[in-house]
Amino acid sequence: MKLSFSKNKFAPGWHRVRFGGYFSLGLITFISAFPFYWMFVVASSGTEEISKMPPSLTPGPRFMTVINHVYEVVDFTRALLNTAFVGVVVSIAQVFFSALAGFAFAKLNFRGRRFMILFVIGTMMLPSQLGIIPLFIMVSKLGWIDSLTALIVPALVSAFGVFWMRQVIDSQVPNELLEAASIDQAGVLRTFWHVVLPIIRQSAFVLGLFTFLASWNDFLWPTLVLTSPSNFTAQVAVNQLKASYVLDYALNLGGAFLATAPLLLLFVLVGRKLVQGVMDGAVKG
Amino acid sequence: MTEQVTKGSRIFAAPSPWKPQTKKQKPQKINGVRSLNGNWGYLFTAPFFLMFIVFGLLPVIYSVYIAFYSWDPLDPTYQVFVGTDNFIRLWHDENFWTSVKNTFSIWAFSTFPQMAMAIGLASILRNPTLRAKTLWRTILLVPNITSVLAVAIIFQQLFGRDYGLINWMIGLFGFDNVDFAEQTIPGHIAIATMITWRWVGYNALIFLAAMLAIPNELYESASIDGASRWQTFRYVTLPQLKNTITFVLIVGTIGGLQVFAEPLVFGSATGGSDRQFSTLTLYLFEQAFTNINWGYGAAIGIAITIIVLIISLINFAITRRLSSEDAR
Amino acid sequence: MASKFRVLIASTLVVFSLIASAIGFTPAQAADAKTLKIWTFGNVIQPLLVREYKALHPEITLDIKKSDLDPLNGRDLVTACTAGSSGPDITAIEIAYSGYWRSYPQCFMDLRNMHTTVGNKSAKTIKKDYLPWRWANGVAYNNAVIGIPTDVGGLQVAYRTDLFKKAGLPTNRDAVGKLWPTWEKFIAVGERYMNSLSTKDKKAGLGFMDNAGTIFGAKLNQGKEKYYRNNNTPNGVLIYKSNKAVKEAFDSTVVALNKKIGTRVGQFTSDWNVGMTKGKFAVILAPAWMLDYIKQQAPKTAGKWDVAAIPGGGGNQGGTQLSIPSSGNPANRQAAWDFIQWYLAPAQQLKIFKTYGFFPTTTTLYDDPALLNYKSEFFNNAPIGKIYAKGVSALKPIFEGKKQRAIDSAFGNALARVAAGKQKANAAWKKALAEIATAVGG
Repeated sequence: MKLSFSKNKFAPGWHRVRFGGYFSLGLITFISAFPFYWMFVVASSGTEEISKMPPSLTPGPRFMTVINHVYEVVDFTRALLNTAFVGVVVSIAQVFFSALAGFAFAKLNFRGRRFMILFVIGTMMLPSQLGIIPLFIMVSKLGWIDSLTALIVPALVSAFGVFWMRQVIDSQVPNELLEAASIDQAGVLRTFWHVVLPIIRQSAFVLGLFTFLASWNDFLWPTLVLTSPSNFTAQVAVNQLKASYVLDYALNLGGAFLATAPLLLLFVLVGRKLVQGVMDGAVKG
Repeated sequence: MTEQVTKGSRIFAAPSPWKPQTKKQKPQKINGVRSLNGNWGYLFTAPFFLMFIVFGLLPVIYSVYIAFYSWDPLDPTYQVFVGTDNFIRLWHDENFWTSVKNTFSIWAFSTFPQMAMAIGLASILRNPTLRAKTLWRTILLVPNITSVLAVAIIFQQLFGRDYGLINWMIGLFGFDNVDFAEQTIPGHIAIATMITWRWVGYNALIFLAAMLAIPNELYESASIDGASRWQTFRYVTLPQLKNTITFVLIVGTIGGLQVFAEPLVFGSATGGSDRQFSTLTLYLFEQAFTNINWGYGAAIGIAITIIVLIISLINFAITRRLSSEDAR
Repeated sequence: MASKFRVLIASTLVVFSLIASAIGFTPAQAADAKTLKIWTFGNVIQPLLVREYKALHPEITLDIKKSDLDPLNGRDLVTACTAGSSGPDITAIEIAYSGYWRSYPQCFMDLRNMHTTVGNKSAKTIKKDYLPWRWANGVAYNNAVIGIPTDVGGLQVAYRTDLFKKAGLPTNRDAVGKLWPTWEKFIAVGERYMNSLSTKDKKAGLGFMDNAGTIFGAKLNQGKEKYYRNNNTPNGVLIYKSNKAVKEAFDSTVVALNKKIGTRVGQFTSDWNVGMTKGKFAVILAPAWMLDYIKQQAPKTAGKWDVAAIPGGGGNQGGTQLSIPSSGNPANRQAAWDFIQWYLAPAQQLKIFKTYGFFPTTTTLYDDPALLNYKSEFFNNAPIGKIYAKGVSALKPIFEGKKQRAIDSAFGNALARVAAGKQKANAAWKKALAEIATAVGG
């Protein structure tokens, strides 16, 4: 047995991955993908096909009918555009403000800094539902109900983003570089803009992606504050399909499919970056 | 709004303060860069603090204030200061303790199997002889991008009592159909499945990252000693994951205490006929929005915060002990 | 890449400041073009009539937002009223919440003071057209009229003739109605049906009715009082403990549950929809508005259904009203009232009844031949107009109280626990009372 290790030049000391390993990965791939596939199967079948025993595991012919039906209830294209708009604005703002504050917390000396950092970390533990009632009243007094502003403004900053950026800047931006910049008489703002931002852009991108995903998938607050179909986000639109006496799974999952498909596309493009981001966050830093 | 990235275990993505100590690790800087004018710090943090205080903190403070009142939001004349009455009532409220029990039960069903699976997957992915590494890693993260709403709708259908796919499979093994929406433990397992499905790949990547930081020499010497797969895992890999496990536990607990959308969509606003899906946050919502007892709802919110704090402190204490043991 | 990244950030900041400056400005609208925001659930606002209204009033756009009933009538309307602004122009309120909202007339416009643009109609002048007890559901404790009823949830029994025949029961609707003058007899028929099933069918979960728990609400609504007594105050008097009718309805339901005549399928679930198609149960206690639901969900069972009289004579389940929240846009109130008055006038209600089966609230229609002679092919040509009209007229007014929804749900959950065998009837009853005490106490 020992002999077989020594043959393995690239990975000395490792037992080769055998069938069991690939089988486990295959299984988890199947389990991960199946609900997406099932979403499509149900969305393209009628109630009858869904309830056949054994269940029908292949897509039915009704997909376009169901999608048309979805569009009769709510303009999904509009909803997707709204969601994308909110997501882009929110994620860029969060990245920017987080980087700004994170930079200050990581690299600048000012009184009260340590206390403020503790404060930021502490607030991350508050359950988010706690403040929802007063926030609603506030947003309503500001006249933002039923506008995307109600989704955007309260989400412009996040304690989590600041915490993340502080860690990122602390670990990725060497002090020496900043000292050199200040010798060149570059102001703090210029240093931030020309030195710090370019270095952290990978991590910033990942934070932005996560913020985008969270914003895209948020549903409680949007259902509360958006009232006109022209302002709906994708999740509110899905909820709209769900909210009737007639519980129609094909319709529901058709909507869920439309709301998820853009994310899957996005994932194909940036999935590797996300993986890298998750793993970077976990060890380095 | 508040239900942003901070929610749930997404926090995992944060560079962890409990990260494994690696060689690359720089000592944490206590002081910033001297040559930069520190006063800019106030300006740089101002936008964050301004927005955060207005839209994040003020509402929470207001909720704390409400918790000491019996408050009918629709009747301005009915706002009676009741002191700690809401909290005393909460202490004696059977339904509140039911929701505490449910929350921890769902948490346990989702956390431990998930952790074991994530570590298992990570150790397969860690193996340098694995083919198509990046592909596997990417696939693992796919469920994580789906919305809770979509997940809940899909799984509700899959877990249907009479015509659900999962009951069909159970039937193939000759067992009777399980009524996931009615029975307590199967219901908890169903909800835990949704959570696990979304997060197991994510956590596997976290563990993978931690495993990649374990020096290869340890594995080489293990193989020279003739260690089996299991022994290598048990005596080389696992001990190095201690900190990551604690970290995943803490964050999983904070997320677990806020489980809300899954039971809401799976059960109902009251969380099933026997309150079997009534989690803490769902109970907060029921009281505040269905029974329209805002003061009581706010008191539940504070109770959740206290529970989170206690658990974080316990975890913190354990982590410190572990790391001081490491130092010895 | 680095510079691109900064350009991206910079351009967003510009976009961002533009948005920031736009905050506070409401979008300008053409002078008489109006968008009415309507909050509703289910199919209260029917698409057919929305299209018709658009043709009549091209200047009005109807923005319809559907939510689940509880978040809509509980959470969303409460928050809108608390905020005092940004509410909808029109909202649907289900009968279970009408008792709650009658306590807060300040959240709605008093429709007695609204006058239509054409015909100068107000709640005062149209009141005579409506069924008095349904009208009363929209009247607040201080006599303000806050809602106009859209439909009566008259309750009858929808049954499958083919399954009845198989079980050796009569299939003719009059004969079937005579089988069960009382709920006891109804349960006995249920037992007879169950005995006719093979062991295999029983094992497959077949049952006489969809969900025996529905007997509770049906029986309770046949009485004079439920959980509250009206004393013309916002809160009313709680009588759920002392009112014998509540316990009687509970006990009858427990009998039905213990005899296992129902399938325990929850209504409005996917299993229910499928069960309808597959003949898993032969009987549904069906309010008028449910007939369309059955038609939609089980199109293949056309002609196999019929409708018979409900035990105990008459009954009501559900029904909705339309209201104008005071938190809505003041500039839209006139248009909102014009719409409500049009939508709920007899001519439109008749159309809704014929297309969707919602039973009208205007009494003038009850002896209109167009309604009385209406037969549904789907329900074996049953004269559903006549059947439901008879039941609805037999009903006595019943007072809907403040926290009725919470009380209903506590009893409903208690019965579900008994059905699932989780609790004995007595314990379930006690727990329900305790839960109600918490819910109404705060």
